Amino acid sequence: MLELRNLSKHFGGVRAVDDLSLTVNQGEIFGLIGPNGSGKSTTVNLVCGVFPTTSGAVLFEGRDITDAPSHRVVAAGIARTFQNIRLFGDLTVWQNLWVAQNSAEERSKGWFGRWLGGDRTGRGDAEELLKFAGLELRSGELARNLAFGEQRRLEMARALAARPKLLLLDEPAAGMNAEEVSQLATRIRALRKYGMTILLVEHVMELVMGVTDRIAVLNFGQKIAEGTPAEIRDDPAVRTAYLGTADA
Amino acid sequence: MLDDHLIGVLSNMGMISFIALSAYLVLVVGEISFGQQAFFAISAYASGIASAMWGWPFLGAVLWGAAIAGLAGLLLAIPTLRIRGLYFAIATLAFAEMVRLALEIFTYRVEVDGELVGPDGSEGFRDIRYIYEADISAGAFLLVILALLAVTLGAILWIERTRLGAVMRMVGEDPVLARLQGVNVNLTKIATVAAAGLIAGIGGALYAHLNTYVEPKIFNVMLGVHGLAYGLIGGLGTAFGPLLGVALDIGVLESTRAFSGYRMIVFGGLVAVLLIVRPRGLLDEAAVYRIRRFLLRKDAGD
Ligand SMILES: Nc1ncnc2c1ncn2[C@@H]1O[C@H](COP(=O)(O)OP(=O)(O)O)[C@@H](O)[C@H]1O
Ligand SMILES: [Mg+2]
Repeated sequence: MLELRNLSKHFGGVRAVDDLSLTVNQGEIFGLIGPNGSGKSTTVNLVCGVFPTTSGAVLFEGRDITDAPSHRVVAAGIARTFQNIRLFGDLTVWQNLWVAQNSAEERSKGWFGRWLGGDRTGRGDAEELLKFAGLELRSGELARNLAFGEQRRLEMARALAARPKLLLLDEPAAGMNAEEVSQLATRIRALRKYGMTILLVEHVMELVMGVTDRIAVLNFGQKIAEGTPAEIRDDPAVRTAYLGTADA
Repeated sequence: MLDDHLIGVLSNMGMISFIALSAYLVLVVGEISFGQQAFFAISAYASGIASAMWGWPFLGAVLWGAAIAGLAGLLLAIPTLRIRGLYFAIATLAFAEMVRLALEIFTYRVEVDGELVGPDGSEGFRDIRYIYEADISAGAFLLVILALLAVTLGAILWIERTRLGAVMRMVGEDPVLARLQGVNVNLTKIATVAAAGLIAGIGGALYAHLNTYVEPKIFNVMLGVHGLAYGLIGGLGTAFGPLLGVALDIGVLESTRAFSGYRMIVFGGLVAVLLIVRPRGLLDEAAVYRIRRFLLRKDAGD
């Protein structure tokens, strides 16, 4: 479904992503892990068209979306969350979901129906997402006033509001306590039941090992291993890079 | 009845409100324009030409002037699309000065009823006499100004409640994130700058007809700076914000004469203090949110 072909991104002399190739299949939860600064977020940014690639290609459902502007990427069916939470703080929780609605059905409404439709359109979808994220009681609150965990949940709900085929989660568990992480795992598994394909970028090991089907490991922008969670756990190269010691 | 002084002050406030709303819209999408006076000027001239030289009716001339100003906004927005922040601000300033200098040499005169009328370079454009010939009183013209302002304000307030309004705020708050929600940021900005030109244009057309006379130097950068400051003072959370700014400056500072002579100092000080303590003005997004909550709660209690 998502294919990266020899993807590279250099920032000056830094090879943030270096000749990375990988394929995420339909319906799969694919983990992308690696130490800090190994190029995980950069990979997500390249897929989303946040900045131009240095070389290589991004294909989605067989179509070349390399360097497509972000709004096209979303329209193609890809949505994401951010490692550092990014919400529209001056919009309410409800509005954050409402403006993110980007399904094919939404886009087919025509300009007037879609943009001047007031806040009645698409209400059902947003209600459902509020429930999914456990935010039904916070719907009228400004996003900036939410607690940290609530903001993370809102971010995920917002990504889902676009009705994506592929969801990119960039360290969704960062800053969460153990209980919140387990709730997150439950949510991710629920999404898989709906047939969502997910690229999960993560640092928190329990989460990655617990919910993913396959994992790729990055180090200094390069893929050093790929396989099932069990294979990755036992891979010596991964242990060296990731845990910093060969015998850990 | 209102006395002449009050009618004059209110008319003035009404016309300036169009510039304030125009600058406000650009601020909402996250850009600063020092050049909205150019659209005011373009429409003042274009509408004056339509009514005084081509014999168009007043309302037609106002709409024509506003349309030309909107088109000018579109023409400004497309090339400046790629530049942001400070560079956009400088580009708008340069554009406005260019327009002003072009008007200094713009001459287009025709004979109407045995007299030459039309823009005459730095001599300005005299005899835009429609409302005097049609015998419209100052009070009646004030009503025309207020009616057009009400329509404009109503349209903006309505848009602000739609998804388009939310999208404009998103573009202003975080364009990268807005793009990732499927928003075409460039298109949103272009459309907003064009609409802002059109709105400033309505004010310019009214100004030309009320004064019967315009000259290029009226449309200098101070006019644009005031228009910009009104939104920053009154607040960027709602279209009422810039109107509050106008009311505070013209209504209180200029007209009561309480601060006569010190007006610019008080005004400048007010802007400086507000930029520090309330960078998005008195009626900022958070204030608007609290007010809305309060009103909704009262509704529910009734
Ligand atoms: N916008 C940027 N400009 C310059 N360097 C960047 C930028 N984004 C990331 N980098 C660099 O690229 C490398 C990979 O970063 P990143 O993708 O954020 O890693 P990760 O998400 O795996 O922690 C780091 O060395 C980082 O400093
Ligand atoms: Mg990262």
